[in-house]
Amino acid sequence: MSESANTTVRVDGVSKQYDLGGTVTALDDVSLDLSAGSYTAVMGPSGSGKSTLLNLIGGLDTPSSGQVVVNGQDVSAASEAERADIRGTEVGFVFQTFNLMPRLTAVENVALPLVFDGWDRTRRRERAASLLSSVGLGDRTDHVPAELSGGQRQRVAIARALSTDPALILADEPTGNVDTDTGAQILDLFDALHAAGNTFLLVTHERHVAERAERIVHVEDGHIRSVEDVSGGQH
Amino acid sequence: MDTGESVRITLRSIRAHKLRSALTVVGVVIGIASVITFATFGASVEAEIVGDIETSNAGNIYVFGTPAGDDDFDRTLQPVFTEYDIQQLEEIAGVQAVLPRGIVQTQSVRHGNQTLARQQVTAVRPASFTQGVLVEGRSFGADEEAVVVNERMAGSFSENLTTGERLTMTMPDGGERNVTVVGVVNGTRGEVPVSEFARQPRVYVPIDPFYESVVESPSVGVRQRAYPQVTLVIDPREIPETQSAIQTYLSGESDARSLSADDTELVARSGNDFVEEISDVIERITRFVTGIAVIALVVGAIGIANVMLVSVTERTREIGIMKAVGARNRDVMQVFLVEAALLGTIGSLLGVPLGLLVGYGATRYAEVTFSLAPLWMGLAVGVGVLVGVVAGLYPAWRAARVDPIDALRHE
Repeated sequence: MSESANTTVRVDGVSKQYDLGGTVTALDDVSLDLSAGSYTAVMGPSGSGKSTLLNLIGGLDTPSSGQVVVNGQDVSAASEAERADIRGTEVGFVFQTFNLMPRLTAVENVALPLVFDGWDRTRRRERAASLLSSVGLGDRTDHVPAELSGGQRQRVAIARALSTDPALILADEPTGNVDTDTGAQILDLFDALHAAGNTFLLVTHERHVAERAERIVHVEDGHIRSVEDVSGGQH
Repeated sequence: MDTGESVRITLRSIRAHKLRSALTVVGVVIGIASVITFATFGASVEAEIVGDIETSNAGNIYVFGTPAGDDDFDRTLQPVFTEYDIQQLEEIAGVQAVLPRGIVQTQSVRHGNQTLARQQVTAVRPASFTQGVLVEGRSFGADEEAVVVNERMAGSFSENLTTGERLTMTMPDGGERNVTVVGVVNGTRGEVPVSEFARQPRVYVPIDPFYESVVESPSVGVRQRAYPQVTLVIDPREIPETQSAIQTYLSGESDARSLSADDTELVARSGNDFVEEISDVIERITRFVTGIAVIALVVGAIGIANVMLVSVTERTREIGIMKAVGARNRDVMQVFLVEAALLGTIGSLLGVPLGLLVGYGATRYAEVTFSLAPLWMGLAVGVGVLVGVVAGLYPAWRAARVDPIDALRHE
């Protein structure tokens, strides 16, 4: 941990190749730092490598070369079980398609990361219920995802991402599956959570979503093309 | 991972696929129930037969010849035990009574105008009938022209035979002998235990004057009656000593030894020896039949494995979600193993009572007393759970190895 104490994520010279018949380079020598409490958007066309970057930072995948450090832990050198623990406790994922367990209720979905983190049932439920209240779903705790609207589902997913109080929230096209108004509400919720001190990394291909962040990292063909500071933060 | 939570996730999954889960469970139920049925029935039959022999024949030693190769059964019935042998056996310490037994061939037995062909008539001493076996009437005296019949025989005629009635026996040479029935019995003292499960209609006659098998005794040089089988009633406290003294006599200087073929073994078996042999045979049959029932259990296991593989495929996305929120491979494996084990356990828990019920029905049908086989029951439940776990291992391992990125993209 030689880097400064308030660096949450350090991506250093990371490349990722896939072997799909021939070798495909998804990321090529990418370096990026995220400081604690920052809000960064990654923009780029599909196939640019932005999702790969997110997966590498989130510990879902390992780089072919280079180093990824999240909250002082070297994700690139971690074993599979260690990466599972990092996914559970250091990062929280918010997906475009919500990815909630279909047969678990809202409160059980929010509590799921705590199950794998070894919390007991009573404490899990208390924490999950209070998080659901904080995202405005205090009256929907015992509903299964099929009984919730798209916006409500995404808010359950956000509450789940917050459950282990992670160092970083990774959002992959979080507004891609909801209508514009609901998308705006979700982005407002991100702003509030950011204001409360959470670190965000958001992947999107929509300019107006990316502009909610403090800076925009433009990715193309596996390279970072430019980093743009968003003046004023909001449009 | 918290086991309670994996059980909860599993129960939701099972409930979401009620029919599929129920059919899988039925497979296990059939397997476990068949194992329990056969094991219980076998144990009941064994307990019944062993119980019979133990109560009635504890102090008996059975003496007979067995040829080396078991292929020639007739030779076991050679009359080789002479009157001289019987006198010698009576003098062995611990022997309380010697009950020789012979076969008298008849063409038929007639009562009134009803004739039963080819009846085997057994020649015994009056001492073979105790108060315990007499149902009505009395034993015959020595050299009395009278017979005793067993209940089966009494019931073989359209009008039940009772004491005082007359029977006509047609001998192999065509001659007829008229005899009076003096008693009805439900067995005889000193009967070889294996004949108890083949309770044939029987007529018993006094050795004198009916039994005519004679040989020249090598020891005393005169012609004497000789018998194929002899039972000795002995002091129950001295079974091992007396049994070995009898065996020593038979293998040594006995007439039976001289009269038997060299490869014939003369044996003295106690009731306990029979109990052990019979238990052994029944156990082997039970194990064999139960082994066949295990095939049903294996089919049940394949059913679980099949459904689990389908379940893993269907829930690939869920596996991805669990991994994304911190599930380790072993947590994922646990979720699927719990599901497989639960299917196996439910199957066992339903299969055991069903098996007991069918086993009980079978014992009622076979008219034996119902006995439990607790070891098999415990084993069956254990095996059911194990079957689930083993059948779930491969699917669970496949689930654990799912790549989370692919899984999250899975529709």
